[in-house]
Amino acid sequence: MEEQNNIQIIPEDIINLVIARLETIPPNIEMSIGNEGSFSIDELIERVKKQDNIGKKMIEMQLTYLRSLDKLPTQYLQNAPATN
Amino acid sequence: MLLLLTRPRYDRPTHYLFHWAGLLVNEAEKKGIKVIDLDKDKAKKKNLHSYLAKQPIDTVILNGHGSPESVAGEDNEIILSVGNGTKLLKNKIIFVRACDSGAILGKEIMKNGAKGFVGYIQPFMFLIDKDYFNKPLEDELAAPFLECSNQVGISLIKGRSVAEAHKDSLGKYSEAIDKYSSSETTNSFLLPILLWNMTNQVYYQ
Repeated sequence: MEEQNNIQIIPEDIINLVIARLETIPPNIEMSIGNEGSFSIDELIERVKKQDNIGKKMIEMQLTYLRSLDKLPTQYLQNAPATN
Repeated sequence: MLLLLTRPRYDRPTHYLFHWAGLLVNEAEKKGIKVIDLDKDKAKKKNLHSYLAKQPIDTVILNGHGSPESVAGEDNEIILSVGNGTKLLKNKIIFVRACDSGAILGKEIMKNGAKGFVGYIQPFMFLIDKDYFNKPLEDELAAPFLECSNQVGISLIKGRSVAEAHKDSLGKYSEAIDKYSSSETTNSFLLPILLWNMTNQVYYQ
């Protein structure tokens, strides 16, 4: 994330990635986020686009998860059969 | 052991916490532990402070909304906050299932002589399947989050230390993460939220 005049700029690619991940959640589901309330998936996507506090939490949460994936042992990949 | 819980219920998140914390009440009563259950309208600051001041309570489990400095009861009334009630928790073990309360409030509680604290340093999040709103205990999407956090309470009820209860809960999170990482599951969207709650759960002792 770049910083210009103390305002964090989140790259559009990251925003689109987070939105794509939120879109995998079925529409009949809400996310409870403490005293901020409960949000539909569409509402969360709007918050991500706006990059408000809730949106930034969603981005932080998804990026934390994606970063954790690089801790997967690489032998899983080495031993996995290749498919064409 | 004497256990006190707060279980407000006035909006969707507290409706779920109310029911899932009810399992902790059942678990404690099954073990013959005396429980002071401050549910719904009883989850008020006046009641909480009065019981903490007068009863020999060992363990306190607060469910509800929170902030870095406070925890709320029924109708979002602040029932515990920095400088207001934390001294009443001296020599007690506290689990706060509320957003952010581990950031400042938990440390303040420990400074005032509590035996141990478990809480969260970021918002505690969970999913709700709208079709199960009237049956929160049957909501299979909410269950992994609330089972993992309930484990803290279950372990404390069993007499385990704060560090052990925290570790037991992290073990539950790991099991859930393994389960939903499997290629056979379609609910992998649970994973980021499970990891979030897991990594933001803290304990002090």
